Amino acid sequence: MTQTAAGFENLIGYYEPPVQELIVIDEVLSAMVGVEGRYISIKTLRGKKDEIINFLVDPSMDLALQELAKRIFPLCRSFLLINQFVESRSQFQNGLVNHAFSAALREFLLDYQALVAQLEHQFRLGRLSLQGLWFYCQPTLKSMQALSTVIQKASANNFSGSAVLNLLQSQAKAMAGDNAVRLLLEKMTQCASRAYMSILERWVYEGVIDDPYGEFFIAEDKSLQKESLTKDYDAKYWRQRYSLKDGIPSFLANTAGTILTTGKYLNVLRECGHNVQVPPSENSKLMSFGSNHHYLECIKAAYNFASGELVNLIKEKYDLTGKLRSIKHYLLLDQGDFLVHFMDIARDELAKKPDEVSVEKLQSLLDLALRTTAASVDPYHEGLTCIVERSSLLKRLGTFNVTEVSQRDSSNNDILEEPVSITGLETFSLSYKVHWPLSIVLSRKALTNYQLIFRFLFHCKHVDRQLCGAWQTHQGVRALNTRGTAISRSSLLCRSMLKFINSLLHYLTFEVIEPNWHMMYTRLQSANSIDEVIQHHDFFLDKCLRECLLLLPELLKKVERLKSMCLQYAAATQWLISSSIVLHSPDESKADSLGTKQSKSGQALKSASRNAAVTDSILKFEKDFDTELQSLGSILSSSSQTEPYLTHLAKWILGVKLEHKGL
Amino acid sequence: MPREIITLQVGQCGNQIGMEFWKQLCLEHGISKDGILEDFATQGGDRKDVFFYQADDQHYIPRALLIDLEPRVINGIQNSDYRNLYNHENIFVSDHGGGAGNNWASGYHQGKNVEEDIMDMIDREADGSDSLEGFVLCHSIAGGTGSGMGSYLLETLNDRYSKKLVQTYSVFPNQMETSDVVVQPYNSLLTLKRLTLNADCVVVLDNTALNRIAVERLHLSNPTFAQTNSLVSTVMSASTTTLRYPGYMNNDLVGLLASLIPTPRCHFLMTGYTPLTVERQANVIRKTTVLDVMRRLLQAKNIMVSSYARTKDASQAKYISILNIIQGEVDPTQVHESLQRIRERKLVNFIEWGPASIQVALSRKSPYVQTAHRVSGLMLASHTSIRHLFSKCLSQYDKLRRKQAFLDNYRKFPMFADNDLSEFDESRDIIESLVDEYKACESPDYIKWGMEDPNNMMTGEGSAAGSLDPKSEV
Repeated sequence: MTQTAAGFENLIGYYEPPVQELIVIDEVLSAMVGVEGRYISIKTLRGKKDEIINFLVDPSMDLALQELAKRIFPLCRSFLLINQFVESRSQFQNGLVNHAFSAALREFLLDYQALVAQLEHQFRLGRLSLQGLWFYCQPTLKSMQALSTVIQKASANNFSGSAVLNLLQSQAKAMAGDNAVRLLLEKMTQCASRAYMSILERWVYEGVIDDPYGEFFIAEDKSLQKESLTKDYDAKYWRQRYSLKDGIPSFLANTAGTILTTGKYLNVLRECGHNVQVPPSENSKLMSFGSNHHYLECIKAAYNFASGELVNLIKEKYDLTGKLRSIKHYLLLDQGDFLVHFMDIARDELAKKPDEVSVEKLQSLLDLALRTTAASVDPYHEGLTCIVERSSLLKRLGTFNVTEVSQRDSSNNDILEEPVSITGLETFSLSYKVHWPLSIVLSRKALTNYQLIFRFLFHCKHVDRQLCGAWQTHQGVRALNTRGTAISRSSLLCRSMLKFINSLLHYLTFEVIEPNWHMMYTRLQSANSIDEVIQHHDFFLDKCLRECLLLLPELLKKVERLKSMCLQYAAATQWLISSSIVLHSPDESKADSLGTKQSKSGQALKSASRNAAVTDSILKFEKDFDTELQSLGSILSSSSQTEPYLTHLAKWILGVKLEHKGL
Repeated sequence: MPREIITLQVGQCGNQIGMEFWKQLCLEHGISKDGILEDFATQGGDRKDVFFYQADDQHYIPRALLIDLEPRVINGIQNSDYRNLYNHENIFVSDHGGGAGNNWASGYHQGKNVEEDIMDMIDREADGSDSLEGFVLCHSIAGGTGSGMGSYLLETLNDRYSKKLVQTYSVFPNQMETSDVVVQPYNSLLTLKRLTLNADCVVVLDNTALNRIAVERLHLSNPTFAQTNSLVSTVMSASTTTLRYPGYMNNDLVGLLASLIPTPRCHFLMTGYTPLTVERQANVIRKTTVLDVMRRLLQAKNIMVSSYARTKDASQAKYISILNIIQGEVDPTQVHESLQRIRERKLVNFIEWGPASIQVALSRKSPYVQTAHRVSGLMLASHTSIRHLFSKCLSQYDKLRRKQAFLDNYRKFPMFADNDLSEFDESRDIIESLVDEYKACESPDYIKWGMEDPNNMMTGEGSAAGSLDPKSEV
């Protein structure tokens, strides 16, 4: 329209101010949608990092008009920036959040452009002054500026995903004073997060990560297979297959853990072939996350559903408590009759050296023992397998402590001292086949703990059996009057040893395992999530391990020493008694002196002096055992300050003696 | 089917308590009177095979031998509802059916004569088990068959199955009132010798105490034998619960006994049971907790052995060992607290020469027997006051023997032929040394008992097993 005038003169100052105003309005309206005019030019300067857009006006322009126009330029600049941002961020590699954000911005720009068009229309009708233009731009100006700040920050840092969301949110908060802007930014946040929310939705409702651009805050490590749980001591699958990444959207930061576990549980359900069906509900859409915190409730509901479902599945379909009870029968000897039978029939095999023991043979004997005892009605007894380990329990615990607790390096050297000859009895252990998904709870580590306890109990049982054998040997000579002889002394020693091992077993089972198991069982009944189940179960095992002395090497060594004394004595009893009898009754046939309990009568006890050697060795056994027991007692009483449960053990082992000695 | 136990019930009393015992076991395991497993009893978890085996048609047969010299009681069993339960090949009634006339010597002698028949039955049963743990003998020690023939069987078993355990449930006669069996002291003494020498464990059940308990605890004015016998069967079945309902410990008989019996001869156990009810009588149902039960078990009035000790002696008496078998719904944490409480209150007087404490076995209860009480308990204990029971037997024997009364009946039999009464003297010596040993247990230095003089060697020369009294030395 100013074609002719412009033809004459390039300077706007040539025109009268009213005309200038018309020109300026026209030019400004163009600039508002990024179009250069004759008197307003757009210069893009490449800065070091970013571009700086400058609007230049013809200096000859009326100063008042210049001032007004310059006020509107920021709006124009914002438009250009936003437009650029929209153009560049719509590319696929920028991720879903950026796409959504760009789309929202584009929509916003459309409104803006409509505003410009309307203004232009007014202008054409001759109703728009530059002042009026400035007035009409006011509301938009702030919004555009806020948005341009956001996108400048976003593009400067090349934000994507949750970072964009965080930026939007923090910006919205920063703008809290300006209601319109805040609302706009919140709306933007919501639009931008829509895509993100649907990723989240799939995760918390289906346990699926649908995240092509890596924007989600949960990462999946596909290299970890669920089968590894039965072998992996650290249960990496469970702990590390899904993990939180950096850059959690701030509005989810508090629930990130819950979100992670929700999907993790759903995944377990899916891996179990269980159809994950979230109960349909119209409120379950995770579309908004406004101040009403609806999304938080949704996440909570999803979590409750997933964890409830999984706990149910584990408890009902996979019968966790049944398995635990079964493991208790076998590995904690709660139903010990099978072991009695097994030790009867596997006696010879177990007496061999560890590398000569045939595991297959033990396995078949074990199966036989299980089939013929109370275990036969337990459907889970088939999961039980035999293992023969390489090293003794003490040595195993030595290495266990190093890896587990990594404590007291110096003490390791003594722990590693190996008994001269170990047999299958020292190295035998049971294992239990655990399948997915129970392997989440009964992980390798949990089973290892069970095995450690079992090996300790098993060896105690072995000692007990040997002492019972010794007791029976003594019973065989009751027809002889043994008053005052080494035999009666020996039978009292046998009693003390039996008392010791029985007390130990009593303590381990009735004072440690049974009450703790009971407690765990009650807690499991009310556990709401599998992590709680794992926690209670692990707590139980840790407590048992500790209270069974397995983490106290000093005490354990004492106990092992006492046990080995018992074994030595039990092994010697046969010889001790038979040599006493032979000496006592020389005319009795030597071969069957033990076999016939009831000696034919009338055998004199002679020549006690000749059995001085026997008496001496019995007294030596007695003395050694008493000394060792005393020193165990003092260790127990000195350690009981830090480990109060040890007083229970002390009371069992030392019995009334304890009170007499004032310990 | 490991660790089986064969039950021998001998004589009138033995068969009566045996019958009650099997009734109780059948109830507890859900086995019908014909030996067929009830439909409701299939879930298992119990060990029926310790005491039963299955016939080809799957019905359960007790590993029991029913032996008597007179047919009355066994006929009764054979005409009862339970007639189809037992293996008829395992029933032995002497041909003449004349009994032993309350004469130990007659029972012993007849036992010898039929040894082959009975050992055949025992061998057959033993061969039918995988790894026989031992035998349980139920009998009374006062009459003729249970005492005499029982004695003979004990000797034979000891000889033939020297590696197997022999446990007896021996009913001691009522010594408070004059019995219709005048020679009861003789019979008791002779049997006691075998119980001392040939059994690994004797559970002493004293009819005097059983009567007293029936009157005082069960409020029966005139208890019948059936009622006192059911007390015995309660004790028998309760003391075998850890074998039948396996738990952490005491899953075999040897383990159960070894911890209770200190020296080869001191193997006499007392029992206590609480709470007692007979046939669902309208008794006052009490609250039962572990502590209540354990506390009551220590009270003399619940012990099934009478205390003949004078007050002075009684204060000296000490427990050598205690095993409490607690059945029912027990919170395992209560056990420790109860023991603690008992220890604090010093309710138990233990021997001083060795470690001692109450051992506890928690056992499941049969799900098929409804009881009014939540918790029940059996105590098996070795207690030195049992010596007074033996002393009483000795003094009654001495009284009779001084009068030389009724000895003719015994002289008729080979063991006492030609007026050879050395068997009596020998038995007396053995019982006396048993009493001494228990007495010595009460002293703090029992461990040195008989070893006072370290410079001498053992000089005793005995003429018979056990009867000698060597002063031994180191």
